[in-house]
Amino acid sequence: MAIENTFLLSPAEVEALWLSAKVAFYCAWIICIPGIAVGWLLAKKSFFGKSFVDSLVHLPLVLPPVVPGFILLLLLGSQGLIGSWLQQSFGISIAFTWIGAVVASAVMAFPLMVRSVRLAISQVDSGLEAAAQSLGAHPFKVFITITLPLALPGIITGLILAFSRSLGEFGATITFVGNIEGETRTLPLAIYTYTQIPGGDIAALRLVVLSMLIALGALMISDMLERKASQRIGRGYKGQKS
Amino acid sequence: MINIDLQKIHKNSYGDFSLDIKCKIDAPVTALFGPSGAGKSTLLSMIAGLVKPDSGCLYVDGECLFDSQRGIHVPIHKRHIGHVFQDSRLFPHFNVENNLKYGYQLIPAKSQRLAFSKIVELLELSHLLTQRPHQLSGGEKQRVALGRALLTSPRLLLLDEPLASLDMRLKQQILPFLLRVKNELNIPMIYVSHAIDEVLSLTSQVAIIEQGKILAFGPFNEVIHHQQVLVLAHTLGLENILQAEILGKEIEAGYIRASIGDQALYIPLSNQELHGFSDNISGNITVSIAASNIALSVNPVSGVTIQNQLASTVTNIEQLVHRTLVTLTLKNTSQQLIAEVTAKSVQDLQISIGSKIYCLIKTQSIHPLASA
Repeated sequence: MAIENTFLLSPAEVEALWLSAKVAFYCAWIICIPGIAVGWLLAKKSFFGKSFVDSLVHLPLVLPPVVPGFILLLLLGSQGLIGSWLQQSFGISIAFTWIGAVVASAVMAFPLMVRSVRLAISQVDSGLEAAAQSLGAHPFKVFITITLPLALPGIITGLILAFSRSLGEFGATITFVGNIEGETRTLPLAIYTYTQIPGGDIAALRLVVLSMLIALGALMISDMLERKASQRIGRGYKGQKS
Repeated sequence: MINIDLQKIHKNSYGDFSLDIKCKIDAPVTALFGPSGAGKSTLLSMIAGLVKPDSGCLYVDGECLFDSQRGIHVPIHKRHIGHVFQDSRLFPHFNVENNLKYGYQLIPAKSQRLAFSKIVELLELSHLLTQRPHQLSGGEKQRVALGRALLTSPRLLLLDEPLASLDMRLKQQILPFLLRVKNELNIPMIYVSHAIDEVLSLTSQVAIIEQGKILAFGPFNEVIHHQQVLVLAHTLGLENILQAEILGKEIEAGYIRASIGDQALYIPLSNQELHGFSDNISGNITVSIAASNIALSVNPVSGVTIQNQLASTVTNIEQLVHRTLVTLTLKNTSQQLIAEVTAKSVQDLQISIGSKIYCLIKTQSIHPLASA
């Protein structure tokens, strides 16, 4: 009985796990297109205020996570600038919901996505893009058929990084959407909660091991996808025959 | 017909210089020839639309592609100009077939002047179609790149040192394909190179570019005698071009019997003939002979293996730093040869303008070019 209790997840823990996966998945999903767009912009274009945009995108990486969380609360909270407008116009409330958790982790994961995409796109040989254009392809067609497929390994890396970052997101989430069981209590928040209650150590440990397994799995899947994508674009993988 | 009048302040690793090119190109193949960094590739990039000129205008077949005053700069993908690059630039994530079809599929069917199967056949690509670019040799890559550009049915084909990254053996394998394209497809070509033998296999129409300017423009035989071109060409390997009349072919012995004026000339059979690219050998043949491979003699020489001994008259002597270039007119013709010899031998043999001299040419140093 005691042994079973040690290894079996309680319904609340299963819920935290499920919620974490859902939040991380949506997080990667919603930053995919904007991340590629901003990464492309920073890799390919020079424009006025580029370094400001660059810094702004990277800000969540260097700020204490509680700061973006608080800013989100000010903007999107039910009393916030955008939040109150959303509430009045559409009856939508983001703060203290799982959607808010997605938004919080998306903000935190965005710079990681942008960095990967930017690097991947800047490494695509611009000579190939020029060649495609000389064959009569419109620049957008070139982007879809040449740039994007060749940058795919980096884009996948960015998405997995964002997914993983979201799984581990704590500070911004707890500040913006709180720690509501079944709604916003993701794995890190659940671990934190168990460490705060007497006798919660075993449950916390179970979730810690689970978190590590998920993170490890995500990294291995990322590695595999990256290798496949690299082979597909005819490039050797990490020092193999090129 | 391509009408070029383009200017650009050009910055590259050789330093800044201004590019100012004015010319009219109206030959099936025109070679842009000149030393590295002279602006040849920049000029091609401006024609292709990859580089925007500072000023001037560009017309291809009467259509304006660039005019700084009218603010016209047609984007690359609307120019219908094929471009073959030195580094082939095949798309690594497509196989050969999809590389070839990339541009082909973008043009409407009625504009597809060249059938896919025809290009595949012409460039002998059928056995490569399912391969990925990284599986191809350098020569195969360039053939695919050439085919890919041709399949867009371009009105002009730009070739930017397409053979520069290949070794001599591969060059010899690709040149026949370029000749086939020239002879069979009727697409005007601008061919950039700094290897004169390569250029002369395709065309005699050259534009010599140095320091961003056109130094000379016209048939190679004529422009080579300009003082500046001579000096420049000498640093790049000076070649003579001669026209000879074919008398007969000795397959067994491996040479063609020909005559210039009434003098015999023995020309070795080229790779083309040996490998079955047999253009019918009759009429005239064009050959190239490196100036450094011509020896001079006051009298005809007997008892040597050199078969070609052409009587000629010295018409000019040009003293360069270490070498002397002697221009000779072949007996009973207007054709000229340039021989590169040492200043000492000119003195020893007492060669002066008007001297009667025999040009000694080893058969193997005569390279047959396209049969004219």
